[in-house]
Parts: sequence; C-alpha cells; structure tokens
Amino acid sequence: MTTEAAITIQQLSKSYQESGRQHEIFSKLDMQVRRGEFIVLFGRSGSGKSTFLNLVSGIDPPDRGKVIINGINLTGLTEHERTLFRRHHIGFVFQSYNLIPTLTVAENLLLPLELIKRITVKDKDKVAGLLARLNFADRLDSYPDRLSGGEQQRVAIARALIHDPDVILADEPTGNLDLDTGKQVLELLDTLVKKAGKTMIMATHSQEVIGMADRIFSIHNRSLVSR
Amino acid sequence: MSSILDRASRNFLWQHPWQLALAIVGIALGVAVVISIDLAMESSLTAFEQAGKAFSGTATHRIIAGDGGLDERLYTRLRVEQGIQKIAPVASAYVQLTEQTEESFRLIGIDPLIEKSLQAVWQQQQKANKTSVFLTRLLSEPNTALMSEQSAQRLHLKINDDFTVMADSREQRLKVIGLLAPDNAVSEQVLARLLITDIATAQEVLGLFGRLSSIEVVLDKNRPEILAQIGKVLPANALLISTDSQSQSMREMTRAFSINLKAMGLLSLLVGMFLIYNTMTFLVVQRRRLIGSLRAIGVTRRQIFKLIIGEAFLLAIIGTLIGIALGIALGQGLLYLISETINAIYFRIDTTSLMVSPVQIGKGVLLGIGATLLAVLPPAFEATRFSPVTVLTRSQLESGSRRLIKVAGLISLVLIAGGMALAFFSGKSISLGLASIFLLLFGFALLTPNFTLLSMRLIERLFGRFLGILWRLPPRMISAEISRTGIAIAALMIAVAATIGMDLMIGSFRQTVAQWLQASLRADLYVSLPGEKMTADKILADHRLKEKLAELPNVQMLSSVLHTKIITDDEFTKVSVFELNAKSKKGFIFKHKVGDDLWNRFEQRQTVIVTEPYAYHHDISIGQKILLQTAQGNEPFEVIGIYADYSGDQGHLAMSRHNFQHYWSDLGYSGIGVYAKDGTDLQQLENQLSKLVTAEQSVKSDRAIYKASMEMFEQTFTITETLRWLSAAIAFTGVFSALMALQFERTRQLGILRAIGITPRQLTALIFGETGLMGLTAGLFAIPAGNVVAYVLIFVVYQRSFGWTMAFYFNPWVIYQGLALAFIAALFAGIFPALKMAKTKPAEALRTE
Ligand SMILES: Nc1ncnc2c1ncn2[C@@H]1O[C@H](COP(=O)(O)OP(=O)(O)OP(=O)(O)O)[C@@H](O)[C@H]1O
Ligand SMILES: [Mg+2]
Repeated sequence: MTTEAAITIQQLSKSYQESGRQHEIFSKLDMQVRRGEFIVLFGRSGSGKSTFLNLVSGIDPPDRGKVIINGINLTGLTEHERTLFRRHHIGFVFQSYNLIPTLTVAENLLLPLELIKRITVKDKDKVAGLLARLNFADRLDSYPDRLSGGEQQRVAIARALIHDPDVILADEPTGNLDLDTGKQVLELLDTLVKKAGKTMIMATHSQEVIGMADRIFSIHNRSLVSR
Repeated sequence: MSSILDRASRNFLWQHPWQLALAIVGIALGVAVVISIDLAMESSLTAFEQAGKAFSGTATHRIIAGDGGLDERLYTRLRVEQGIQKIAPVASAYVQLTEQTEESFRLIGIDPLIEKSLQAVWQQQQKANKTSVFLTRLLSEPNTALMSEQSAQRLHLKINDDFTVMADSREQRLKVIGLLAPDNAVSEQVLARLLITDIATAQEVLGLFGRLSSIEVVLDKNRPEILAQIGKVLPANALLISTDSQSQSMREMTRAFSINLKAMGLLSLLVGMFLIYNTMTFLVVQRRRLIGSLRAIGVTRRQIFKLIIGEAFLLAIIGTLIGIALGIALGQGLLYLISETINAIYFRIDTTSLMVSPVQIGKGVLLGIGATLLAVLPPAFEATRFSPVTVLTRSQLESGSRRLIKVAGLISLVLIAGGMALAFFSGKSISLGLASIFLLLFGFALLTPNFTLLSMRLIERLFGRFLGILWRLPPRMISAEISRTGIAIAALMIAVAATIGMDLMIGSFRQTVAQWLQASLRADLYVSLPGEKMTADKILADHRLKEKLAELPNVQMLSSVLHTKIITDDEFTKVSVFELNAKSKKGFIFKHKVGDDLWNRFEQRQTVIVTEPYAYHHDISIGQKILLQTAQGNEPFEVIGIYADYSGDQGHLAMSRHNFQHYWSDLGYSGIGVYAKDGTDLQQLENQLSKLVTAEQSVKSDRAIYKASMEMFEQTFTITETLRWLSAAIAFTGVFSALMALQFERTRQLGILRAIGITPRQLTALIFGETGLMGLTAGLFAIPAGNVVAYVLIFVVYQRSFGWTMAFYFNPWVIYQGLALAFIAALFAGIFPALKMAKTKPAEALRTE
C-alpha cells in the first residue's frame, strides 16, 4: 500500500440472496485509488455499479474483503462507526432526489456541516459563497422541489463538497438530465473536485466524462476491468 | 373487469400487509364496538321482557298496583261479580336462597287451576301431562316449588329436596317437586332464576297475606268492553295496562341511556373511518404509477374506480366479519356492565347471557360496509384522476392537498357553526344534541390540518434558530406531508377531545352530585327500611321503630321519607313523602327563588314540589296543578317548588306526609333520618340504633351514605369509560397506520439522511420527535374541542337525556391528562415505525424512490 493511496480495495465480494438463490455481484475485486484521482466506472445496467459505490462508502457491508480509506478499514467498523466515518470523509451525489425536500437549499448544505461541528457564521458565509459561485445566491431559501433537475444536481454537488470530505462518490449524477445540462453538471463536478484535490469515483453511462477521467473501469463478469 | 387488472393491483396490496391489516382492524373495531353495544343493550331489555312473558303468557293486559299491592278480593270480584274468566292472580317478589347461592331468584306464585289457560312460557316447554301433574301437586301440597333443571343442577338440588328461601326477614322451607325443562336458549334464560309456587305458598313466603302483586288479563279482542268493566272496579292505587305498553315504557325509560351509549359506538366507528380513509389513500397514492400505466394502456376511469371500490369492499367484508365476531365477544363483557347500570339507575333486571339476532348482525354488516365505502370514496375518485402520462410527485400531491385543506378549513367553520346551532336549537331531542357533537367533532377534525400547519410554522418561528438544521426536520416533515399527518392528528384529536369532553362532563357531574349530596344529607344517621310495603305488620313495625327512635335520649329529632308510587295520568309516578324538620328543610336546593311561606304551604295546603327531571320531562312550571289519583277521585296538587335531585333521571314528586295521609293509606316508611343532640357520640348512637333494627334494615351515617352514593355514581360511568378506551384504541391504531404509511413513503429520504451520516439513533430520535409533535398538536387542539364537547354534553345532551342541570366545573387535570394521553399514544404508535426505519439498510432505502 503506497502512502498515496486514498482508497484501497482488497478481495471484495458481494452477493445478494434473492428468493433463496445466491446472486453474486462481484467476487474478489482489487483496486487502488490515489489521492486526487478521478475514477470513472462504466457498466451495463445491473452490473453492480451502485452496489460497488455503496460498498466503498460503507453504506452496505461486503461479504468478504476490505475497503480501506485513509488507512481505515471500513469493514472492521460497526454500523455506527461507519456512519460517523461517512459524515466526515465522504460526499455523495446520487442520480436524483438527492436533497432533503423539507430543508431549504442553504439548509441542505448546512446539514452535513452541522453533523460534524457547531455551525458558525463563517459556515453560513461559506455556504452562501459557494452557492453564489453556482449562481444560487438568490435561492438560498428555496425548497428543492422549486428547482429544476439540473439545479438540484448542482446543489447536490455543493452539498457533497461542503464539509470537505476526502472522497466523493457519484452515482450517475447526470442520469436524469438532458445532454446539455448533464454536461454542465459534469464540468462543474470536475472543476470543483479537481480544484479541491478530492478523490472521486463516479458511476455513469455518460461518455462525456471520458476526457475528464484519470482512469476508467468497467464492471464486467463480476470483476473490474480497466479500460 | 379483467383478472390481470385485478392481479396487478392486488399484488401491490399484498406487499403492504401492515396497511391491510390495520385497515381491517379499523373496520373491525368500529363495527365491534357498535354492535356489541347494540347486542348488550337489546339482550338486557329482551331479558326483562321475556321474564315478564314467563308467567304472563298470552296475557294482553295486567292489573298492577303501587306499594301496598292489590287486595285479593279484587280478583274474586272480577271473576265472580263481573264474570271475567280469563284472568289470573300473581304474587311475586325476589327471594334469596341463602344456603345455596348469592343470586336472588324471582318467586312467582300462581293459581294452578287457571294458570293453564294463560299458557305461560314455562308451560309451553313441558309435556302437557307433566304440566298438569306439576300443577296438581303445587296445589295439593303446601310449600312446594318448581324450578328449571339447570337451576336445580346449579344449586345442587334434586326432586324432593328441601331448601330455604328468604324474603325480607322471613324464612321458609320449600320442597322441589318438579323440574322444568326449557327447550330453547330463551326459555332457559327466562327460567334460570325463577321459582314457581302455588299462590298461597307465595303469599306466605312473601308475607303478602290477602294481597296480590298483579292480575294477568287475557283480553278477548271481540269484547273490548271488558276493559271498561275492569276499570270500574279498580281501586285508586291500581292500574290496568297493556303488556305491550309496559315493555314500551320500559324502553322509553332507558332510551336516553341507550342513545348515549350508541353514540359512543358511532364515535368509535367515526374514528375507524379515518383509519380506513388513511389506508385507502395510501394504497391509492402509492399506486399512482401503476394506475397511470393502466390508464395509458387503455383502462378506463370507471374501471379504476371499480377496482378501488372492489378492494375496499373486500376489506370491508373481512373487517366486518371479524368485527361481528369481536363484537359478540365484547358484547358479552358489556352486557354485565350495561345490566349493572340499568339495575342501578332504572329498574331491576336479572343478569342474562347475550342474545344475538340476525337483524342486529345485519345492521352491523351494513354499518361496516357502508362506513368503509364512504371513507373510500375520496381516494377512489382521486385514483381516477391520475394522469396516464405524468406521474405526480409526492410534493405535487401535497400541493394538491394544500388546496383541499384550505377548502376543508372553510367547511369546518360551517360545520362548527352548524353544530353549535343544532345543539341549541334542536328542542328536546337527545339524538340531535348528540348529532351536534358529531358535527362539532368532525368540524374540528377538518380544521386540524390548518391548525397543524399553523402550529408547525409557529414552532419553527419560535424555536427554529435554537434547533439546528436536523431538528427543524420534525415540524417540517409534519407540514410537508400534511395529507398523512393531518389525518392521523385529526383521528387522535377526535378521540382525545371526546375523552376530555367526557371527563369534564363526568367531573362536573360528580362535583354537582357531591355538592347536592352534601347539601341534602342533613341527618346524622339514616335508618333504611326496605322491603315490600304491602303488609300490615310491616307498617306497624315501621311505626314502632320510629317511636323507639324518638324516645332515645340522645336523639333530638327525626325526619322520615316514604318512597311510593301514585297514579297520575294513567301511569305510576314516583312520590317521596316527607316528614321534615327545620334542618332537613335546608337540604333542598330549589331551582328558583323561594318565598318564606314555601314550607308552610308544603305542609298545609294541597301542594307538591317536584324534582328538576320531573319538571323537565313533564314540562311543569311553578303554579301548575298536577292531578293525582286518590280513593276519592282525581285531586289537583299545586306545584310550588322545583328542586335539584340526581337520584334518578325520570324524576319524582314530593309531598308532605300530612298531605299524603289525607288521601292515601299508610305505607310505613322507607327511611328515617336521625338528628342527634349536640355532643352525642355518633358511633355509640349508631351501635345503639343497629340493635333496634332488623336484619335487612340498616343504619348508616351521612358519610357512609355519601360514600355509597358516590360509588354508585362512579359505577354508572364504568361503561362510558370502557367505551371511551375502545375509541381511543381505534384512534391509536389510526395513528399507527398513518405513521407506518408515512415512514414507508419517505424511505428514500431517510436513506439519503443515512448516507450523509445520520446514525440510526438520530433517525429514531427524529421520528419520535415528529410523532411526539403530532401527539402534542392533537392534544393541544383537543383542548378547545374537548371543552366544546363538554359544554354541549352538559348543557344539551345530559340535560335533555336526564332533565337535570349541572354546573360546568373546569378541571385543569383533565386537560393535562388529555395532553399526556395524546402525546404518549403518538409516541407509542411511533415506536414500531421508528425502529423499522432505523433498521432499514440505507442501501435498500436508497434503491426506492
Ligand atoms: N437488495 C438487493 N437484493 C437483491 N438483489 C439486489 C439488491 N440490490 C441490488 N441487487 C441486484 O444487484 C445487481 C446490481 O445492482 P446495482 O444497482 O448495483 O446495478 P447498477 O450497475 O447500479 O445498475 P444501474 O445502472 O441500472 O443503476 C442487480 O442485478 C440487482 O438486481
Ligand atoms: Mg445504479
């Protein structure tokens, strides 16, 4: 393991039990992601991209194998510890309905901060500043359902970054958007993440992302294939 | 309808077994409560009627007398002088079989010779030859009796066994000479606590020498003139009534009680309807995608509507069937409570078992299915409006329901105003009074979502800045999903408001009665002289006892009362005959300004005072004259006072003993009040008095009477409290079901919260925060609603039901209890959904949408 590795995945296996039958998604995956790397994950629908991201974030525990982020082995942690780990170290962007509908845009951004510390005026300024950069200055107090899908995704990206996590996991962040909007969202993600020097794994079908990625994998026959 | 269509949606239902089960529970409990009350009430009354038929048989009329009974010579006169053939004398009263059991039995003495023509129920069960053997033996052997096989078994008696019966303080040995074999459940009921003897034996056992309890008359339809013939020879204290009108008047007497009970049953059903509505809305809304797809492939609106109604119908049938089974079981329990209450406040009925009639079951079925279909109409219509193209998001649905809530707010104001108007402008109708409570409750329920939204906004405004982002969620979630939370809060609010209303009413009533008792119990000790007032020796004994009491050195003075009946307007009216002294006169609380000469007029002139319920039921005002039937014909008595009395809801008259003795024969006393000289040791005096009285007479201090009366008061409300808990249980189920639906609908949202680092414990806390808030909101809103309900109960329903007025006593504890009830119920209902959500794996939660 190099000191550079942000994420180390060893011998990761996962299967689901479905109506009595064991359904294996992956077996014995290995992968190393360096700090600041942008990894893109391709794969057919149902190949296990979401499952993989859930394993990396500790949302879902694997059957066997290890997920090590910043030297911490997630599979050795309890559910509670993994939750606390996520709070501090991981940012998420999902395909849609990322935001808490009953919180305003600003509150959605403040929530991850509040989970790790006391919110100060400085935090509020930080949120306002970030949103201003995304051209949301006048929509701080809007509720998510007043925003378009693309706008929601941009807010979701801001939320994933606001608490300064080490790793960003994005699961088809443009899946629900039209081509143009999708492109904009991807570019935003790319610039923000690159600028902050964050490690990112993104699952997507979008080909636009190829130019931005450092490395590209796809899940094929229950294992990772580098492209 | 195509079976694939059915299957498409039914598969969905099976994925929500919880919701289905809860909807069925809602229907079942609502139906159960309604029919259990109906069954128990009807069984009690039917038992009473059947018991009457046991010995009256084909009798169409009956001659009954007030206290003192009928002279048996009346019977001879009717038969011999008037030549009326189809009449039969009866001497009957309750007796104790002290050696065998605590139960009391009804002893009926008949004339075996004529009895056959009456074809009483007990005879029909027997083989003809057996009956005549029994009758001959009853006649020829003194001190013999018949009882049912079942009773004999219960009492461990066999044919030719002797047993002791006790009436008043007389004891007598009787011999069992025959066992009656009832051939069906009804007659078994009737015979269960019956002893049949020859009339002479009965008179001896009961001490009714030369007296009869009643004379049964079988009236030939072709000879109506016989009625007039009988009327001519009837003494002043006797009345000829038809057996139908007697059972009718019994029903009339318990009508108010019965209506109030049934209203409580309907309340449960109303709360149950909220539950059904909530479930069906959930099941419809969750299927909006499916329904949209069905519409897209060509399923018509009508088909969708039928589909939803069909499902509801299925649920209704299952729920109703379970409800009926449950209702019969519950009725068994209620039967005891109801007959106890009827015993305590109306008339004596024997405990019986539950009788279930197809009509009552039919009523239950109609109610269950009707209520379900009514509750399901709105979601069924909503389903037909789902667009085939665009699937509405949850928030779009919510904004649609916001519009509805505004409309509901306006309707609610109309309902509340209408309810108030109905309450006060519906004359004397009890049903309309209760209907107004339903309107009010429903109005408040429709206002609940608005109130909830307002409260949540207020909470945020007040506490938002201190709460942090996470803790802003509970009030926000309540507002955001108001179409669910609002219904749960409304159902809970109704149940709690009903509880608060009833508690305030019962509390006010209790306070009023307590004050009345304290005011009217003026004597130091009370001697009660129970027993049949027909016998001359009892009257003599009463007088002797009173003289002895007056001679005791520590006794300063006495008062006395006789409770009896006098005929007015062709019915018996209860009359209390008083001998009052300076102290006891102060015990009357008049409902109007009283002149100085009232007591003077009470003693000297032909006057009566009447109780408040009597004045209410008979529309009596001061100065009016009441005609009372005396031996010399009808005499007018002027009403000079109306006084508070909570001892019975039919009300009665009161007159001075002086007045009474002038027109009616002496009947002894029912009670004597003893006023001790200052400084007397009351305990010692009580002991002294106790030695003077017989076994069934008793001496009680004013405290003891107060205590016993208050206990009786509490007892009459046991049934009310039981029923109230049942509707609270249904409300609880409603909240539970709504919360389950709610948590299910926001699985995805909770998944996101978990993904960004919210722990299961925090999630649980959030959900408890939300349910607790819902409970508090329901509780808070139930306070004004409950007060309005109490107000209408006290000043409209109870006054109309029983004719008495009481003061409104506000008790803050009732409010705290109501709040706590709502809060705790909601928290409890939240436990399972909270745990379930906390346990849901975030990965799975995120897969849903
Ligand atoms: N809880 C579960 N139980 C059973 N099978 C599951 C479960 N979760 C996922 N699967 C299965 O695992 C496989 C991988 O699912 P996953 O969601 O990871 O695919 P994906 O690559 O993200 O697909 P898509 O591109 O459509 O999002 C699928 O075949 C899915 O049916
Ligand atoms: Mg996926």
